[in-house]
Amino acid sequence: MTLFAVALKYLRGRLMASLLTACSVALGVALILSIFLLTHGIRDSFIRGTTDFNLLVGAKGSPTQLVLNVIFRTDVPPPNIPYTVFEQLQDDPRVEVAVPAMLGDAYQGFRYVATTAAYFQPFPWRRKAFSLATGSFPRADSPDQPAYEALLGAEVARRTGLTPGDRFYSGEEMAEYPLTVAGILRPTRGADDRTIFISLASFWEMNEISREMTVKPLTAVLVRPTRLSDVPSLHREFNVGSETQAVIPSSVLLSIFNLLGLVEAVLQVILTIVALVVLLFLFVALYSATLQRRREIATMRALGARRLSILLIILLESWTITLVGGILGLGGGYGLALVGARVIAEGGGVVLHPPVLTPLQPLLLAGAVGLGTLAGLIPAVLAYRTEVSDNLAPLS
Amino acid sequence: MTSERQAITLQGVTKAFPLGDGRALEVLNIPALELPAGSYTVLKGPSGSGKTTLLNLMAGVATPSSGKIRLDGTDLFALLESDRDRFRAEHVGYIFQTFNLLAPFTALENVLLAMLFASKLPKREQRRRAAAMLSTLGLGGRLSHRPHQLSRGEQQRVAIARALVNDPPVILADEPCASLDPKTARAVLGEFLALCREARKTLLVVSHEELAVQGADEVLDMAAINHAVGASS
Repeated sequence: MTLFAVALKYLRGRLMASLLTACSVALGVALILSIFLLTHGIRDSFIRGTTDFNLLVGAKGSPTQLVLNVIFRTDVPPPNIPYTVFEQLQDDPRVEVAVPAMLGDAYQGFRYVATTAAYFQPFPWRRKAFSLATGSFPRADSPDQPAYEALLGAEVARRTGLTPGDRFYSGEEMAEYPLTVAGILRPTRGADDRTIFISLASFWEMNEISREMTVKPLTAVLVRPTRLSDVPSLHREFNVGSETQAVIPSSVLLSIFNLLGLVEAVLQVILTIVALVVLLFLFVALYSATLQRRREIATMRALGARRLSILLIILLESWTITLVGGILGLGGGYGLALVGARVIAEGGGVVLHPPVLTPLQPLLLAGAVGLGTLAGLIPAVLAYRTEVSDNLAPLS
Repeated sequence: MTSERQAITLQGVTKAFPLGDGRALEVLNIPALELPAGSYTVLKGPSGSGKTTLLNLMAGVATPSSGKIRLDGTDLFALLESDRDRFRAEHVGYIFQTFNLLAPFTALENVLLAMLFASKLPKREQRRRAAAMLSTLGLGGRLSHRPHQLSRGEQQRVAIARALVNDPPVILADEPCASLDPKTARAVLGEFLALCREARKTLLVVSHEELAVQGADEVLDMAAINHAVGASS
């Protein structure tokens, strides 16, 4: 028999209370971990999903809405701008590349984005690289002869089961314009994984309003200036007009991060309270258990147990509870983060990929055991100080 | 008598408890007491006469207000507390009136627990010895039973096995059969005394049982050895 075996025996002796205490630790750890993974996942997802283009030109309105919708495929689409804005930008000598984008409805929750081949071009300045997992990029087409071909993001293909050559449409009213899958992209770990890309010509023809329009609509134009020093003048120019706004995606991202920071600060306060409640629960459980067995502690002392051995038994109980709770919490926290990530993604939000291991996990486990030490210390000292001769007799 | 090796020696031992009003209640005052090694002594006295306090002092679980207690030649209270704990585990077997078995532990584990704090034997040997000790007391089939699954007589046998398993030279028993019915008490006490006598233990038993008194080398009356004056300023 060892001191650890004695501690385990006592924990098993009050199995339900021990399990409940371990569960409270697990819940606390799971909550902290899942919130950390989700908030950091959202931040990472925004960083990873952000565009290589320096400027985004769209309709007047909320810059955040424009960025969230065009870059991250969340939120509702802003009003349209005329195609002439794209032509104007394309002809501007300050612009190296301009890519038109039109965001439409969704198929099984995956949004259509109509654009040109330039969206996928591997320009030297691009960090983002698009490559095909299978099939081909949609054929180049013209407004009078749309190809009705679609390029699927990796997540779309995985979830819908569509493969190259398959035809699909959303809603009976679109049955007239079925799309054929041309290819599937490799995962980009960004919003493009959840997007169905089609040509602008196909989109305009599928939509009954744009079909009739002489000047075709766009949601936005992604702009890469020739020189970075041209960004301010382009930004100013397109903001002066009454119909358009130019947005620098990185500055919008900064304001989103600031907001996220605020949310994180509030969550930190809540999580600190959660940790305190767990600490208190653990303390009460260990303290009352120690009070209830003062006679047994006195008996062990009479059998020759040193005060330090008794102190260690109580701490071992606390460490075991927090270690078991901590490990369960790490597993549960990761599971919660996965569920949370799926809920966010299905809600049309950003795509998160919670990492299995971060520096937080070992820290959390150490923190839980540290909390256990703190909670176990007073009961352990109480046990340590138990007077043998005063406690050998049965409790009255 | 003087040539005999003394297992327990008390010199001017007093024990007083503060009353809170500046006075102290002296419950024990024993100028001198010697128990020879291998002797069997019965201690008698009315309730509240200080019998349990005396046993606690001899076991080193309570501290005397003054005086010296030597056990097997060692001045108990000259030792550091942790050394005294170790010394107690190796030299004293203590049997309580209410058995004091630990509820979450089986009979075997209760006995093994005493070895945890004393024995340097390998784990397997500890287990073998504890099981053998319980078998000697007729509990070979009850090793994995927890205290609440045992009769009171069996519980006290486990307590006896726990006290003897480390083979301590001194056994202190505080009314070991007081909470047993007369028939069981006689049986348990008989086995216990036979085991201790056979192993030539120094045995001090607080008891009023006729069976306990019958074979004793000496019967001490607390009224005769305790000179405590009660409350004093």
